[in-house]
Amino acid sequence: MRKKLRIYVPFINAGMQETTTYRVNWLFYMFGNVLGCFISYFIWNAVYNSSENSTMNGFTMPQMIVYIFLMFLTSTLVSSGGTYDIGEEIRDGSIAMRLIKPISYNATFLFQELGNKAMTICILIVPMVVGVEIVRFNFTGAVQFNILYFLLYLVSCVLAYLINFFFNICFGFIAFVIKYLWGANLMKNCIVGFLSGQTIPLAFMPEVLEKVFLILPFASLNYTPVMIYIGMYNGTTLLYFLGLQVFWALFFWGLSKLLWSVSVKYLAVQGG
Amino acid sequence: MKLLRRMFRMHRIFVVQELKRMTEYKSDFIIGIIGFLLAQLTNLLFIWIIFSQIPSLLGWSISQIVFIYGFSLIPKGIDHLLFDNLWSIGYFIVRKGDFDKYLTRPINTLFHIMVEKFQLDALGELIMGVALICVTLPIVGIEWSIAKILLALAVIPFATLIYVGIKTATAAIAFWTKRSGNIIYMFYMVNDFAKYPATIYNNFVKNIITYIIPFAFTAFYPAKYILTGENPLFNIGMTVIMSVILMFIGVVIWNKGINAYESAGS
Repeated sequence: MRKKLRIYVPFINAGMQETTTYRVNWLFYMFGNVLGCFISYFIWNAVYNSSENSTMNGFTMPQMIVYIFLMFLTSTLVSSGGTYDIGEEIRDGSIAMRLIKPISYNATFLFQELGNKAMTICILIVPMVVGVEIVRFNFTGAVQFNILYFLLYLVSCVLAYLINFFFNICFGFIAFVIKYLWGANLMKNCIVGFLSGQTIPLAFMPEVLEKVFLILPFASLNYTPVMIYIGMYNGTTLLYFLGLQVFWALFFWGLSKLLWSVSVKYLAVQGG
Repeated sequence: MKLLRRMFRMHRIFVVQELKRMTEYKSDFIIGIIGFLLAQLTNLLFIWIIFSQIPSLLGWSISQIVFIYGFSLIPKGIDHLLFDNLWSIGYFIVRKGDFDKYLTRPINTLFHIMVEKFQLDALGELIMGVALICVTLPIVGIEWSIAKILLALAVIPFATLIYVGIKTATAAIAFWTKRSGNIIYMFYMVNDFAKYPATIYNNFVKNIITYIIPFAFTAFYPAKYILTGENPLFNIGMTVIMSVILMFIGVVIWNKGINAYESAGS
């Protein structure tokens, strides 16, 4: 087992080097994305100021702030870029280089991406969580940080990442058929963004829709970890949603295996 | 004048060329438009759900907010349709050394880059923008006058120039750094602030989007004038001034950048 894992260490290193080479670019990109959080913050601020109720669908203003910023953190942590890579590699034939090696195709992607993420994890988690906790402290006058919820949040994020990783691999096969990866990806991101609560908490949807969306795999991507962190889920509810995450992770893992074994049979790489 | 005629003729040739390419890849074209339509649709759902909680947002009604949102998509869409190629400068044209091609041609480089691509994906934004304006116009109760109609139409190209100026200036940074795509991205993302009334932001943010990265003039201020008829000198006049200043800065940086450009070593 240890030896098996050691094979993948170079992939982690390669991933880390990839991000550190373009770190200034990465910072600009992140900053551009954080701006979106501030827009949401100001809109919600105005909404709570315009409303007579201090709680909306179970969310108070400080909880909403935590929600906005943690949603950004979570979606960055669990993001996965397999969609582009697989389609591109099939098209230009470089997939052959991965196939002739005695290692798992998916695992090489997984480890490369973990390396990619190392910097994101180091730079983002601490300031985001500290910032969010300071805001909460300011509003309520008490330290709200709960180490148990935080650890469960991390567990939930790992599960969410696995779901996203295998989901994106499945989508990568479809996107390859569509060909216009950029457009297909934009469509996917919109739909996933909405159904996973990035646009608005699912609790704000009409009740029937909320129930359906909670079962769909997208809620498991971002919504579940964030709700766990805020402390919205307790006891059996919490276990139910974690279990649902495990189920979806296994489901997409199986589906990606199936799609892979079907399509690798038809794969033809021309030239060299 | 002769130069202008020549430029228009060339633009037409480039557009026709792009349209031919589009008919070759019809499904790409449809997927792109649907993608951008969906992106706007989720934002609208957000607005709609928010307004199911409150009667008005700091005095703005839902139809007014949607009108401002729809108006913001028009200059954004036009910029996206005609001047999308500036992104490629920042992401790969300079880095790969492909910019050499433009330097060897007898056309102004900036003009050439701009007209080379015709991005039909933008129709997603334009269709949505026009639709939202049409739906909300009868509800928001605007008092029309001929002057207002003329001003409303005249302000659109200037609002578009704000986008073009900011993109040109930030894309040109690539001439020094080889890659500036993410810098364009960072500045471009500020435009999302402009889709909502500037009054919801604190003074710091408001000053930035008004005077420093003045995207507020691409949507909120002109739309506010159309809605309320208030202060045309500021709402419309400043849009014109800002766009001219930004375009000027953009061209200056671009020209300086070309002198600094050294092709990628092969």
